[in-house]
Amino acid sequence: MKAYKLEIWVTAVCLALVSVAGGFASSLFVIFRNSFFNRIATPGALVPVYGETMYVVDKYILCLPLHYFLLIVLSWIGVTLIGAIWCLIMDKLEERQRT
Amino acid sequence: MEPRGEVFVLGLILSIALLVISVFISVWARRFTRSLGDYYVAGRSIGALNNGLAMVSLALSLTTFIGLTALIINGLYLAVAVYASFTASFIGLMMLAAPYLRRHKSYTTMAFIAERYDSKFLRIFAVIVMLVVSVLYLAGNLKGIGIVFYYLLGVPEVWGIIVGGLAVTLYVTLGGMYGVTYNQTFQTIVIIFCLMFPVAVVLKALGAAGWAFPPLGYGNMVPLMETVTPHYFWPMLAHPVTYVAIFLGSFFGIIGLPHFVMRFFTVRDAREARWSTIICVFLVGLVNTTVYATGFAAVYWMNTTGFDLSAAAYDYMVFILIDNLAAQGWLAVAVAGAIAAGLSTVAGLLMIMGAGLIHDLYGSLKPGVDDEKKLKLSYAAMFTVGILVILFSLNPPTFILEAIMWAFGIAGASLGVPVVLGIWWKRTNKYGAAAGMIAGFLLTFIPWILIGYLGMEPVQIPLPFFAKYLYGPLGWIKTTAVAIPVSFILTILVSWFTPVPPEALQLQVDQMHGWTDYNEKRYNGKVLPVTIIVLAVLVMWFMTTGYELFPK
Repeated sequence: MKAYKLEIWVTAVCLALVSVAGGFASSLFVIFRNSFFNRIATPGALVPVYGETMYVVDKYILCLPLHYFLLIVLSWIGVTLIGAIWCLIMDKLEERQRT
Repeated sequence: MEPRGEVFVLGLILSIALLVISVFISVWARRFTRSLGDYYVAGRSIGALNNGLAMVSLALSLTTFIGLTALIINGLYLAVAVYASFTASFIGLMMLAAPYLRRHKSYTTMAFIAERYDSKFLRIFAVIVMLVVSVLYLAGNLKGIGIVFYYLLGVPEVWGIIVGGLAVTLYVTLGGMYGVTYNQTFQTIVIIFCLMFPVAVVLKALGAAGWAFPPLGYGNMVPLMETVTPHYFWPMLAHPVTYVAIFLGSFFGIIGLPHFVMRFFTVRDAREARWSTIICVFLVGLVNTTVYATGFAAVYWMNTTGFDLSAAAYDYMVFILIDNLAAQGWLAVAVAGAIAAGLSTVAGLLMIMGAGLIHDLYGSLKPGVDDEKKLKLSYAAMFTVGILVILFSLNPPTFILEAIMWAFGIAGASLGVPVVLGIWWKRTNKYGAAAGMIAGFLLTFIPWILIGYLGMEPVQIPLPFFAKYLYGPLGWIKTTAVAIPVSFILTILVSWFTPVPPEALQLQVDQMHGWTDYNEKRYNGKVLPVTIIVLAVLVMWFMTTGYELFPK
């Protein structure tokens, strides 16, 4: 049962990480929007479109907005790395199952 | 959309060359096909690298190449989030289904569902769902091929649909899964080259400092973009549950889409299935992030130059951009890449439709038919399906990506849920699977008919209690946040209150996970089903709340 429990737990943890990196990240950016954006008075000409105040990006990385950078990099490199780690563990588990 | 006014000779030469090479590969690969197993699953002999590359071109359909740019112009950040989920969903597919399905040794998703639940009814129902989602997927891609031909020759889209459709039908029928696999591998290389280089040239023309690496190379253009389109990077234009719905649709949709799953039946073993997914997700991510750059460039160019384009013509934007900012040679390269992207996906879909009709439907109704006859029938079925799909696609959807997004939702709620629970929870039985599949199908298919086909406003559809929340950008996508949770809840509860499946069926679960013996305690606890039910209820509750906190 040890190998079985390891399979379940490793899969659950990796899947949770992939879900956040590739799925829920944007929900979190909306919920915690004040950490990524500042609210400023809207420039005069844009008031009819955006209202009295509007959001502007607060943090950047490689000149891209931080949340956008996290979204595209985590959903690509991030999930690839998590997936590769999961594969390595499953390869080991398979060897153990065979013996 | 006005035609270019002349035949684009260079693009035409490259496109015809691509079509000829594809048919040639199929004729060459035909020599490997000696049995039904060779025809449908390439004799289960494909290695990780080959399968990974083939999966990339299957994933990078014309919807990625031209549809995503159109979606970004329409939906900005939301569109990027859709494809971020799609990229990551391959890892979800790998962790939840791929290696286990490979060990099951079925030919198709429909066969897996039928054998895991020992139900002829579920086999037939799964084939019907497969046909619906495949046709939706195909219609979008064939329209894309039509758009490319329209741009090339100035001829109506319908000619592209007919010529492109016939070419792909020919090579799928000829080469079977071997031909499809080697073609998809070749097309992946074509797609990556044909997308990355023209986009780099476009970014250079627009002044991007990092044009040599398009995925992250446009940062210096961001300040001007934030001036001309301040909301480009705003995730808060949609309620956060929209992103949850996108996540559910992507992760379970890809597991439910039989043409993706079928690729895993072709590899040598479970290990190859896993590593082929890693290769695939890395390359799909590379291409998708390049398309985000294309979408960014399109919006940037339109809003800084004042270029005006009707919304119905957004699907043409990639070619317009390259036509205006790069040399004609790059446009020819992009056109060839787009055709490769369309053909590879259409081939995969035709393959699964033929397999579903002959192996799963005909084979189920007439179990005594031998493999040799099935193989002969498969050639005929594949050709017939191709012709029927061409005819169906003559009246395609307005935006090609929306049809595919509906296909993901329907597949996720109807097929993805019984596949995942069938692998991870032994207690799942045919009654539960049937309840979940039927409910999931109705909760996604009926909204597609009403919204996607008849054009009703999402908030006006007769979906009790939830319809009023289906507003905002891509508001209809929230139907997924109802359908998939309901499908999970019904499958679990009905399975719980109906007889335990026979031990032989439960043993399949152990075997799929690599165990040779049966152990009742494995994959049979209460924690998993209870957790899923709690999460499912939470998602549906989340959809109905928080609207005072988040802007519409």
